[in-house]
Amino acid sequence: MKLLIIEDEPALSKSIATYLAGESYLCEFADTFAKALEKIALYSYDCILLDLMLPGGSGLKILEELKRQNKTDGVIIISAKNALEDKILGLQIGADDYLAKPFHLSELTARIHAVIRRKQFGHSNLIKQNELEIDLLAKSVQVKEIPVLLTKKELDLLLYFIGNKNRVISKAALAEHLSGDLADMLDSHDFVYAHIKNLKKKLHEAGCDSYLKTIYGVGYKWEL
Amino acid sequence: MKQLLNKPLRAFAGYAFLILLCSIPAYYYFMDYIWISELNEHNRIIAEKTRYNLNAIANQDSTLAQMIGLWNKLQPNTDLQPTQTIQPDSIYNLYKQKPHAPNQDIDRFQGLVTYFSVQGQPFRFRVETNVEESYETILTITGVTLVFFVFLVLGFILINKRISSRLWQPFYATLQKLRAFSLDKQQNIVFEPTNIAEFEELNQALSSLIESNLGVYKQQKEFTENASHELQTPIAIVQSKLDLLLQNQNLTQEQSSYIDDANQALARVSRINKNLLLLAKLENAQYARQESINLSELLSDTVLLFTDYAEGKNIPINTILEPGVSATGNKVLVEILLTNLVLNAIKHNTGHGSIQIKLSPDRLVIANSGTTALLFEQLFRRFGRASTQTPSTGLGLAIVKEIATRHNWTISYEFQDNWHYFSLILTP
Repeated sequence: MKLLIIEDEPALSKSIATYLAGESYLCEFADTFAKALEKIALYSYDCILLDLMLPGGSGLKILEELKRQNKTDGVIIISAKNALEDKILGLQIGADDYLAKPFHLSELTARIHAVIRRKQFGHSNLIKQNELEIDLLAKSVQVKEIPVLLTKKELDLLLYFIGNKNRVISKAALAEHLSGDLADMLDSHDFVYAHIKNLKKKLHEAGCDSYLKTIYGVGYKWEL
Repeated sequence: MKQLLNKPLRAFAGYAFLILLCSIPAYYYFMDYIWISELNEHNRIIAEKTRYNLNAIANQDSTLAQMIGLWNKLQPNTDLQPTQTIQPDSIYNLYKQKPHAPNQDIDRFQGLVTYFSVQGQPFRFRVETNVEESYETILTITGVTLVFFVFLVLGFILINKRISSRLWQPFYATLQKLRAFSLDKQQNIVFEPTNIAEFEELNQALSSLIESNLGVYKQQKEFTENASHELQTPIAIVQSKLDLLLQNQNLTQEQSSYIDDANQALARVSRINKNLLLLAKLENAQYARQESINLSELLSDTVLLFTDYAEGKNIPINTILEPGVSATGNKVLVEILLTNLVLNAIKHNTGHGSIQIKLSPDRLVIANSGTTALLFEQLFRRFGRASTQTPSTGLGLAIVKEIATRHNWTISYEFQDNWHYFSLILTP
């Protein structure tokens, strides 16, 4: 899958690329407005990560350009300016998602995964992984064709893990995913543990292999 | 508090009182002096006339002794007696009982003793005239003076009032404008022009002061906003590097814990940064949109959001929410306010504490268990440390206060029976 990272901060784009490496993602970079315009005109991408503040112009202009060229690339805005107006405007022009800096790479990956999934499979799709099957439209989970009842948060976590398979995800990242903007205000992430425990238990009882590993003191990993 | 104009009024009244008080003996002295001199003259005229008349009648010598006796009987205020030698005149002043008066009335008399001879026989003539008694004079003068004093003070007050309403009008206009002024509204004050030099100077000085303050304030705000923006990217880089580091297969447990600690600290930096940005935006008068908000719903949503977290800390949240309580405000901001208040109650709770949330149409009270009262003056200040317990960004309650103020709501804090009470008083 082809990804374009439009970001003027090389250290950040390198981190993203490194994190995604090995997951069949091919990353390209554009660090200026002009380069970004050139790339989007020449190629198509499955997902574009777009910083709004670029040397040479605003990222919103690139978004408009994409629309003008009738491109269907998925776009996730990554902006340091967590302004509501930018977010609303960006989504209106046609971005698929908006992520404010700073973010956890696992969060970004989960969102890239979700965007690509939507673009590739339309709006009804199934995620299959060995004995596990997730119907995103019905929001239902089956293990060996037997339904498993998960809460909304448990399902949310499961998708997050699958989107970040073979990656260590910190508790902080999970807390942020579950409680959104509030996470960095919370001084304890213990509530994450309760949900994960339940998820693990339900999957295990349904006969699912234990893909979800606890990395002691750090976080969790969905190992395949 | 005393009004400025009342101060000179008091001094004026005091001074007037002093002068009028001093005038009482002066008036008395002069009046008495005039009285006495007039009476002395009067006495002398009587004596002269008596002498002249006596000498005129005295030609029929046989009657002199008889006449003198008769005189003394008919003229009660005079006394004519034969004497040995002629001596110099003398005057005197005395108090004595009125002759033949029925009551014990003491009167004051001015007397003259003079000597003259009638037909070679020396006579001593004494005449006494009734004078107004000193104390009566003093009393009358004092009374009149007091009446004038009262008129004087009444006049002062009246004039003072007229002066204060007319002369000081520009001053009060300026004061009114200053009261309505607020730095974060970023609006300069235009003072009404006045033709009084002092007030014009005051207005000019205030104008330039306000202008420079607005400038400094704006600069500081822009600085905060820019600094926060600039910080977001490096924080994002550090965050991403920590996430990458975590993927390392050979991490020891110790190294992992370092990453975890760094993650936590970074989350705090990120939150402080976000809060600073929010405050800067608040002061920038962004979030101007106003709408009717269902507080009951918003509050129960907020509480729901924290259920996980509170359960994780074993803190039950009891809510009594009156349904349908609404308020006008900016939804984004009110949500932040509620979030911060509820979060505050969870974070700064005790080991086995709980939380009570009560919403009624006019107020919201969020109470949480605690051990010691917090420092009120530190509580709502930026980076104020009201307690030494849980680490915090030091901005949460400052934001609450800022948002409450923007909506003309009041936030107050109380500590009672080991409960911290935060009350948000809603004004329509």
